[in-house]
Amino acid sequence: MTTPGRLWAWPGELRARGILGINRRNADFVLPSNPRSHYPRVDDKLLSKRFCEERGIPVPETYAIIEQEGDIRGFPGCVRDRPQFVIKPASGSGGRGILVVAEHDGVKFRTAGGAELELAEVRYHLSTIISGLYSLGGQQDRAIIEQRIIRHAAFERIAVGGTPDIRVVLYRSVPVMAMVRLPTRASRGRANLHQGAVAAAVNLLTGETFGGVCKNHVISRHPDTGETIEGLRIPFWDKLLDAAQKLAEALEMGYIGVDFVLDATIGPVVLEANARPGLAIQVANRCGLAHRLEYLDAQPPEAFAPARRAELVAALSGMK
Amino acid sequence: MNARRATPWVACLLVVLGIVLVGLRAYTRRESQLASGESLWRLTYTVKFQTEKAGARLSAAFPFDSAHCRVFRQNVLHPELQPERLRSPLMASREIDLLTLQPGEQSMTARFDIHLSRRARFRANDQEPVLSTQARAEWLRSDKMVQADNPVVAETLQNIRRDTPESGDLVRRLFEFCHNQIAAGEEGAPSDALGTLQKQAGTPLGRARALVALCRANKTPARVVTGFVMEENDSLKPRVWVEVWSGKRWEPYEPENGFARELPYNYLAVRRDGGEVVRLTRGSGLETQFAALRLPPGPGAGRPKHGSLVALADLTRLPLEMHEVLSLILLLPIGGLVTAFFRTIVGIRTFGTFTPTLIALSFVFADWRTGVFVFVFVLLAGLVSRAFLDRLKLLMVPRLSTVLTLVVLCIIFCVSLLDMLRLTPGAQAVLLPMVILTMTIERFYLTSEEDGTGFALQLLAGTVVVALCCYVVLRWGAVGRFLFAFPEAHLITIAALILMGRYTGYRLSELLRFRDFGPAHKPKESRP
Repeated sequence: MTTPGRLWAWPGELRARGILGINRRNADFVLPSNPRSHYPRVDDKLLSKRFCEERGIPVPETYAIIEQEGDIRGFPGCVRDRPQFVIKPASGSGGRGILVVAEHDGVKFRTAGGAELELAEVRYHLSTIISGLYSLGGQQDRAIIEQRIIRHAAFERIAVGGTPDIRVVLYRSVPVMAMVRLPTRASRGRANLHQGAVAAAVNLLTGETFGGVCKNHVISRHPDTGETIEGLRIPFWDKLLDAAQKLAEALEMGYIGVDFVLDATIGPVVLEANARPGLAIQVANRCGLAHRLEYLDAQPPEAFAPARRAELVAALSGMK
Repeated sequence: MNARRATPWVACLLVVLGIVLVGLRAYTRRESQLASGESLWRLTYTVKFQTEKAGARLSAAFPFDSAHCRVFRQNVLHPELQPERLRSPLMASREIDLLTLQPGEQSMTARFDIHLSRRARFRANDQEPVLSTQARAEWLRSDKMVQADNPVVAETLQNIRRDTPESGDLVRRLFEFCHNQIAAGEEGAPSDALGTLQKQAGTPLGRARALVALCRANKTPARVVTGFVMEENDSLKPRVWVEVWSGKRWEPYEPENGFARELPYNYLAVRRDGGEVVRLTRGSGLETQFAALRLPPGPGAGRPKHGSLVALADLTRLPLEMHEVLSLILLLPIGGLVTAFFRTIVGIRTFGTFTPTLIALSFVFADWRTGVFVFVFVLLAGLVSRAFLDRLKLLMVPRLSTVLTLVVLCIIFCVSLLDMLRLTPGAQAVLLPMVILTMTIERFYLTSEEDGTGFALQLLAGTVVVALCCYVVLRWGAVGRFLFAFPEAHLITIAALILMGRYTGYRLSELLRFRDFGPAHKPKESRP
């Protein structure tokens, strides 16, 4: 772990570095630019998926949707021909309630983490999803059974026990900052930073990783494998940025984070969008968001035309 | 940014409005004068006694609202005595029962601030529209001191009927008889109805009982009332008079001074079963002292005119029983203010937004030691049983309800246990918000499963810290009293909340979180 020079930073120092705080993120960016009526588009994964599919943005293929307790009976039939699949709640958040099945024979199910589950246990999991255990506000929910993403070889040595995801934060449909989140043993295979996953910044122009953070501390090697996490080029980067912009435009949300995973064959696949993307991306980039967002706010409307966005991205990626 | 510019103005407007309204009300209250024929009094009970062993019972009757009288403030102090209940039985009296917990010297002080009015202008609380069968039987009963079924009483009644055939109604004639024919007795005169009638003389109580016995022999419900005549006096003597049911209402008769059907407005009833104002069982050496003192006009006793707009905001005009509940409701926004401060400015995370407030609020009206004991016990028991329930793989709502049931059982068990150990001053000490506790247990369990026990404990610690701060603020009695007197001060609370709602600075927790961005610091690297 690092030995930080001091225990805290003064507000003036953070302001000078352009660090965005939660209050300002919510009051100045999330509330004014994300209309409440559009929230279901990101909170409901089925709706997000439909938005993506309509615009040709790749998403994991949906095998089945289980809407009611009664539908659970049909579950074994849905997955008979699918050796691997993922069960996830349609309105879940933070990776909760997601079950990745790597192998099964219709009676016993083995998860990606190696645990053995009986059919009854999987059915119970489905019914907890439907009863709203993982949904925002405990509302009745739906369970999605979808394609399992096969990790791209690029991340072979720096992701432990799970699939890394790539987060792009967009403001007014312009990519502002990006990072890749790598699961660790501590995060139990999930790419959640507050559970101990590692994050590395991604250069917006080149798609190359730099920097790194784990539990708010600066690192540059993966804590489990010791491999360097810097200087890694993310495949299909331009395709990924393009998809992120298209999705941001389609969702009509001014300030969002889009999460991608890289599939071995399809390439970048949208996992979900988030109306309140976290602030740890700043630590990973060792750079604040505020200056970049202010820069965009100062641009004339014509600068945001799709053809000219590349200029904005170039200007932003050089900002410190 | 429109919102950013408008916010300070809205907040300013609310603060100014709040200050102006509070100021105006404070000014009018100070200026308020009592109407002619109205006065403010302070009635004080001082009670002392000894007990050889625990379990002695003191019951004291308190003054209550009538058409001429309004109790607007009440303060009862009884160190080391456990209140059993404050009851309003069928005789429409307010009575408190106190139990002794330890032997020795005991004391109780009660103070009432009373607004008296010559005109019948308050909402009366002491008249029942019809007499129930039960009440009728009670007020026709014959007993050891009011011997209504004694032949002597029946004979006296017959004589009065015969002697004064047609002058006025019978109750009036009975009253005249007691007032004129029965002499005010000296020391040692009989104080029961029979003795008074036989000797043609009696104490004030004896004369009142004689009148009641005659009425009851005539099958007219009647009762002895104990009370005070409000006049400035350090040692006020309780007085007795009689109330007779006229078929529509209770009419007062006072044989001692000869008032019939109507009493002067400064007669204040406290008990209607003929007993002493303060009674003691299984104790000795009861000393009671009653004092009445005239008060200058002051806050809380202006002139609450019914129907005026100013009176609407004046909560002190409401009956005493409502004061506590309303104060509690008025304190809730302060809890919200504390929570908002901790969440948006300090950045402490908690389970649920208002969980800390509600827990703190339940502790304000409870004994905190028993409260903490029950809280910790319920939380631990809940978590253990929740972990066990997880193995049963129950669906969410039945599972939550199971936890709720367990929480309820735990609390009930705690109440019973504390009572058995004689540790609690009453059941209200442990009335924790049960639904909130259930949700906290559920969230704690889920968080520790999903994000690790460390994170769950961090949230729990945050909840406790915020609840503690809420508790400190809510316990601050001056806040509650001020808000009760000036509820419009909450406009300032809203202003503070609006300003906090537009606070875009860093949370204190973020100064720690982003500390690596300090300028002097070069990111040092750690080797895994």
